Amino acid sequence: MTNVHPIRAEEFELFALGAFPSEERASIQAHIDSCPECAQKLAEASGRIALLSLAAPEQNPPAVVKQRLLEKVRAEKSSTIAPARIRETRPSAPWWNTIWAPAAVALAVATVFLWISDRGLDQQLEQIRQTTQAYQEQTQHAQALVNVLAAQDTVTVKLDATPAMPKAWGYVKYNPRMGMMCYTADLPEPPPDKVYQMWAVPMTGNPVSAGVFMPAAAHNGQMPMAKVPTGMDCKWFCVTVEPKGGRSAPTGPKVLVGTL
Amino acid sequence: MSRAQRAEQQNDSDWSLLERVVQKDESALAALYDRYSGLVFAEATRILRDSGAAEEVLQDLFYQVWRTAEKFDPARGSLPGWLLVAARNRSISRLRRRSSRDDEELTENSVVLPCSLETTAAQNQLLGRVKTILSGMPDGQREAIELAYFEGMTHSEIAEHLATPLGTVKTRIRSAVEILKQALA
Repeated sequence: MTNVHPIRAEEFELFALGAFPSEERASIQAHIDSCPECAQKLAEASGRIALLSLAAPEQNPPAVVKQRLLEKVRAEKSSTIAPARIRETRPSAPWWNTIWAPAAVALAVATVFLWISDRGLDQQLEQIRQTTQAYQEQTQHAQALVNVLAAQDTVTVKLDATPAMPKAWGYVKYNPRMGMMCYTADLPEPPPDKVYQMWAVPMTGNPVSAGVFMPAAAHNGQMPMAKVPTGMDCKWFCVTVEPKGGRSAPTGPKVLVGTL
Repeated sequence: MSRAQRAEQQNDSDWSLLERVVQKDESALAALYDRYSGLVFAEATRILRDSGAAEEVLQDLFYQVWRTAEKFDPARGSLPGWLLVAARNRSISRLRRRSSRDDEELTENSVVLPCSLETTAAQNQLLGRVKTILSGMPDGQREAIELAYFEGMTHSEIAEHLATPLGTVKTRIRSAVEILKQALA
């Protein structure tokens, strides 16, 4: 899992509304599926957006819909319990019992066996689904990374240390056309309850967060990536130390700074 | 159903009714249906503009609640939230003839509503609030967000539909979403 969230806090409502293009949507959804923090934000945003449905003119369904629903439900219930009812009403015959009793036991054993097998298969399927999802997310990340790194118009910005951390270094690969950046930084572990946060700073306007991250060693070789608004005239990049979860604007000391 | 039973079910929480649905208590399903079918049907009818198709969406959704109630995790979201989002997704899929996922799980797309909709009074109050919020928006903003929500249109489709620049549409929708978010905070 990457520490960089590919969607900003204020964009969850737009995502819930379906405003993102499908290709971008798929990669964000893959991230949300594996990021509880983003999943929670999306659940809350989806709730706010869902309330737009209340703007629809009030309509009550015809009574027949409920009737059909309950008939369907009753039909399902009666088909489930039908064998028991048949056994209750049928007169008993001793020689029949000698056949039916072992058959019923065999059927019950087979049912239990199938149920256990089914549960085992369900668990295996769930494991496979989770593994596939993790691979899919890694592949998407790697593909996006390759796209940025291989693009002719991607620029490299060296990040220099500040007196706050004189031995630190890092660099940013930034593609303004794609609105994407990836970065790496050699930094010591941050203080407890703190994280590093990357910022893209335009010539005019406020810095834009490019995600929070932990030192390079914690990434298992995976470069953090972030989306920045296309057309944003980035001139500087910097890394600050911020409280866990990051901040919407830099508040902590700068530890790395680079100029485009 | 008697008035007394109806009043009693008004007091049952969604969660307790769902627990009874898991036990295959059809009166609990009927109570949930009575509570939320109006909201779901109104939404589906607004999107599909076809009451017959909206009835199918409504019936399918509640039948799925019956079949898979045990999968619903109240810690991850609310039932009416899920119903409204699933009704929208399915209706838009039908409207735009996209491949529909009518088997979406009750565990998927968790939705946390900012307030309860369990009583008719709460629903009426919120209904009035949402209508006030929308009527307070400039026409262009309201139109853009309604096209996005009820027609499932993308930014580009809305821009084309309204013959308005794409950037303007994006700004209008962002502003409308921000107004909604702040008004419901």
